[in-house]
Amino acid sequence: MAGIDDLRQIGERFDGEKARAADRSSLEELHARYLSRKSGLLTLEMQRLRELPADQRPAFGKLANRLKQRIESELAEREAALAGEERSAREETEALDVSLPGSRPRIGHRHPITLARRAIEDIFLAMGYTVEDGPEVETTYNNFDALNIGPEHPSRDESDTFYISDDIVLRTQTSPVQIRTMERQPPPIRIICPGRVFRRDELDATHSPMFHQIEGLVVDEGISFGDLKGTLDLLHRQFFGERTRTRLRPSYFPFTEPSAEVDVSCEFCESRGCRVCKHTGWIEMMGAGMVHPAVYDCVGYDTARYSGFAFGLGIDRYAMLKYGIDDIPLLFQNDMRFLSQF
Amino acid sequence: MKISIQWLRDFLDLPEAPRAVGERLTLAGLAVDGVARAGSDTVLELDVTANRGDCLSHIGVARELSAIYDVDIRSPEAAAAEGSAAMDDVFAIAIEDAGLCRRYCGRYISGVRVGPSPEWLVRRLEAVGIRSVNNVADATNYVLMELGHPLHAFDADTLDGSRIVVRRAAAGETLRTIDGDERRLDDTTLVIADARRAVALAGIMGGLDTEISDRTTNVLLESAWFDPVSVRKTAKRIRLGTEASYRFERGADVAMAATALERAAGLIIELAGGVALRGVIDVYPAPIEPDRIALRRGRIAEHLGAAVPDAEVERVFRRLGFEPRVSADGWTVRTPSHRHDIAREEDLIEEIARHHGYERFPATLPVWSGQGRQLPSHAGETHVRDTLAGLGYTETCSIAFGNRDTQAAFAPGVEPVEIRNPLSEDAPILRTSLVPSVLGSIQWNLNRGLRDVALYEIAKVYPTSGEKRRLVMAATGAADAPRIHQSTVETDFFRLKGEVEALLSRFDLVLAESTDALPPYLHPGRSVRLGAVASVGELHAEWESRFKFRQKICVAEIDIEHVLERGLRAIATAPIPKYPAVRRDLSLLVARRTPYRDVVEAVHRAGIAELTDVFPFDRLERGPFSASFYSLAVTLVFQSGERTLTDSEVQGFAERVLAELRKIGIELRS
Repeated sequence: MAGIDDLRQIGERFDGEKARAADRSSLEELHARYLSRKSGLLTLEMQRLRELPADQRPAFGKLANRLKQRIESELAEREAALAGEERSAREETEALDVSLPGSRPRIGHRHPITLARRAIEDIFLAMGYTVEDGPEVETTYNNFDALNIGPEHPSRDESDTFYISDDIVLRTQTSPVQIRTMERQPPPIRIICPGRVFRRDELDATHSPMFHQIEGLVVDEGISFGDLKGTLDLLHRQFFGERTRTRLRPSYFPFTEPSAEVDVSCEFCESRGCRVCKHTGWIEMMGAGMVHPAVYDCVGYDTARYSGFAFGLGIDRYAMLKYGIDDIPLLFQNDMRFLSQF
Repeated sequence: MKISIQWLRDFLDLPEAPRAVGERLTLAGLAVDGVARAGSDTVLELDVTANRGDCLSHIGVARELSAIYDVDIRSPEAAAAEGSAAMDDVFAIAIEDAGLCRRYCGRYISGVRVGPSPEWLVRRLEAVGIRSVNNVADATNYVLMELGHPLHAFDADTLDGSRIVVRRAAAGETLRTIDGDERRLDDTTLVIADARRAVALAGIMGGLDTEISDRTTNVLLESAWFDPVSVRKTAKRIRLGTEASYRFERGADVAMAATALERAAGLIIELAGGVALRGVIDVYPAPIEPDRIALRRGRIAEHLGAAVPDAEVERVFRRLGFEPRVSADGWTVRTPSHRHDIAREEDLIEEIARHHGYERFPATLPVWSGQGRQLPSHAGETHVRDTLAGLGYTETCSIAFGNRDTQAAFAPGVEPVEIRNPLSEDAPILRTSLVPSVLGSIQWNLNRGLRDVALYEIAKVYPTSGEKRRLVMAATGAADAPRIHQSTVETDFFRLKGEVEALLSRFDLVLAESTDALPPYLHPGRSVRLGAVASVGELHAEWESRFKFRQKICVAEIDIEHVLERGLRAIATAPIPKYPAVRRDLSLLVARRTPYRDVVEAVHRAGIAELTDVFPFDRLERGPFSASFYSLAVTLVFQSGERTLTDSEVQGFAERVLAELRKIGIELRS
């Protein structure tokens, strides 16, 4: 049984060499030495099948095939083990101190006034308002006269308003955009006008010569004071949070009638009274009211047919309340230690 | 305006505690800013709006409370004991300018003893912030605070000719007022005069010579109505505001003039003794008629969003002193003489709304169809802001005023808008350039220990030709957050130039580069214009030292108004190429005076449709070549939409490019 002995010897020799193979290239060599199609030791041995007597052939064939399968599977197994070892070795050498910080790209910050303006714009856009724009250097007529602010009104004093000439001012409110819009188009009107306004105050913790407003104006048939209430209530619930309540109380502006100061419930103390709300539970946010008929007279609207409401809110104030800013100069100093918080 | 709770209780019964009263008043439109104890009394601090001069008194506030609580008001006693001698036998009053003085009432009280006021009166006045002077002056101040009508008491014996004339001052006339100041008058000033001279500034302050003194025995008591505009103009011109002028400016109650006179006369006699001469001189040539305004019932619901019961409407009006008379579709309402702010139907509706309660009208939303729109520039502006945030730039906001010289240096030749009454002579114009502001912001941060700063601002500049929006970007220090893994890149000219190019690349713009007409505040050798819309560069050494910068500052100024007008390019996608692109690198020797721009232009002159990109990847200033050249390596990218380009085709393209380059003296580096 020379053939079968030979097979046994090949098997034993393979076992010895396999034990010595330490890397994947020697495994590949082993594979070639035993199983290569042309010169593999087992391949050549198996070719001797035809030389064997017929009665020995089945046993030889069976043994040879079993050996071949064993060599293949043991090589594959060994290779997988080696690959695993190599991978872990590589993982070990490649390991990082992952607790080091990531390479963070520098990302810029938006100004809080821009953030608040965009948030308020989005609330009104969703309600179907159109955004309008107007000049900051404005006529005295649009800023005062057309808004029913008479020539003797104290807000026209040089101590309160910046004048370029008798006829031109730095607008003290965004309300002149109301006039520009109404002079340009008939009702229905539903607009907001964000923009920069100026009042002659020195910059201190609670005043600024320049600040930002959003004016709102709705004129249509059947617009009521209740619509104003509902609109501002929605604004405040969306901007400050669903729990925020809105309160209108009577006030006076020459261009609205009835007029209202608009308060929101103080979220700092949940309306129990604190420093922010001056212990009233309410924070004054803006002025609003039903458009005064004298304003319609100025722009030629039919007061019998149309009614409407207007409001003017200070974006800076909304931003300060929402983000807890207690000092106005922070908004204009452009200190990165402040701005990078947004 | 300080209001004493005890004083209010003279007029009506308050069913609630002071703090609650304050809240009710606030919700009715008289904002109570503070509630403070004052001994046994409580004082409310009221912020009375400019239209409600009638509430600058205890009776006025009591009237509001009578509507709030629906209770009656007790009127104060207003009667003076009279003697038998008639006033008009000893004194005369005449109004010369009936436009500025509609009514003048006078009382003559003889035999008073001027002295200190009793304790109760001193305390009451103190509670509302008035210092006691003497019993006669205190009586007039008491009535001022109680009824809101300013009065003046003269020492009658100092009035020359025993007469009062209300007239305009003569030019050059002077008057020493009670505060001791010599006032120069002119013919716009309404004065109270005796036979010889001005003795008081009408509605503002009395004269020193005729004031009540310890020696006074006879008093001429004035209660008048002066024109609000005239009082305001005079008070403003001479910079003198008083309790009296404050009320006349807002419109006093012409009917109250007579009542207040009687109330004060009675009080003076009670406190200082004496007797009133018989009769009042009441010069009131043209009585002011109350307005009658129609109010339609349906209009209330339309305007406010809910109907108010008729009984409630009438109740509110009556409590506030209005007289409603039922008409076909509502009421005709007679307005009281103390309400100058009621002129139209809407004004009446507001009274109903205030006292019915703003909180009682439903909160609704307007019903409409249609949709809203953002500004046309919105999409572009959003893209700019998003991109800038991604590039690491933080938005700033600066006050829009500027210094004349600085602005002129940064925006030469631009005429600024001058403010007539600036807050500071150092910043009297509106900005014509945003650059000084952003440099100031960089400086602020560097001075506070920061080193790596990138800022931008989008704001208007205001040349006289019209306001325009601009974008300014400024960066200094490392372009990225510090990291230990690799060294940081410092912001430099090319970094900022690339950022501006990236920022503008989505807009419908042609950005031809140029080094002509560069802004003077930029380094002349390190700045460039991109089309007509942007200039980019490093800050000029002169401004570096003026701002005391010790590190490189890069600045870009962009005409964002124009960029946003052009808008974002419409997106029209091209198919992804099916055939591979082929890159060909050329290593060139370029004369030192030839800028890269000339190289690219020459490459494009070859007119190869398949050339899809050209970019530099290496530049050597010195090497094994003549010092008058630099070496430049560029990559050309070729691609065809129809087929894979062959080597020989690409070689042919490269040859054609080289031929163009040779025309401007550029050779392949051997």
